[in-house]
Amino acid sequence: MPDLVLIDRAFQRIMRALVDSGRAPHYAELARALGLNAEEGRGLLRDVMQAYPIGWLHPETDYIASFPPLNNLPTQYRITVRGEQRWFAQCGFEATSATWLFPGDTVRVDAPCLDCGDPVTVEMRDGRITWVDPPGVVGHLAFGFGPSRGRPHYL
Amino acid sequence: MNLFRSEEHARRWKDFQPRSEEGFITLPDLAGFFGTESRRHMLDGDYLSTWYPRRGAERRAYLEQIGKTSPFWMGTPDPPAA
Repeated sequence: MPDLVLIDRAFQRIMRALVDSGRAPHYAELARALGLNAEEGRGLLRDVMQAYPIGWLHPETDYIASFPPLNNLPTQYRITVRGEQRWFAQCGFEATSATWLFPGDTVRVDAPCLDCGDPVTVEMRDGRITWVDPPGVVGHLAFGFGPSRGRPHYL
Repeated sequence: MNLFRSEEHARRWKDFQPRSEEGFITLPDLAGFFGTESRRHMLDGDYLSTWYPRRGAERRAYLEQIGKTSPFWMGTPDPPAA
């Protein structure tokens, strides 16, 4: 039976590391931070990812690829806070959720439009949209939610 | 789940699917959809055990509020073809 308190602590540690540094910890680093050995850390990471299935490990590895709203693997959704572009969002939708990880700060999302490559920029602060360029920016769900759609909905 | 400069840009995207004509969402609605109460607690120590389990219901309620109740948005199976 997984230790739910420990899984909560591990989740918070991963999210905090992503916010603070722009990268997710390796399970050995997670283990050290929580007073575990590396193998216990690997198991704990797998427990966290099972409990948070909207994120995922890179296939055939124990490397965190996606931990939404942020992504450890770069995407086209670049996040800038306090003038530093250290972060990536999982997708365009999750990009609008990154604001909640940086309370009191302006969070800027820059991405190329997949049609023309021209820039799309959105700035948010504490959940409020403060700047959009161009003004007509829209979100688009390409494949629909749910397994019946046949493709990962985050694409 | 992408951001485009406009709906027309999305429709010109090489991977645009005809079904996804119903997949547009305004930026304010999107910010609300991904800013429901649970998402404001992602840094809390009990996020995974307390807040994450509420996310699904919050999202369904928000989608209903903005009128996106089709299977495409709700993640429910499509009705059988007539």
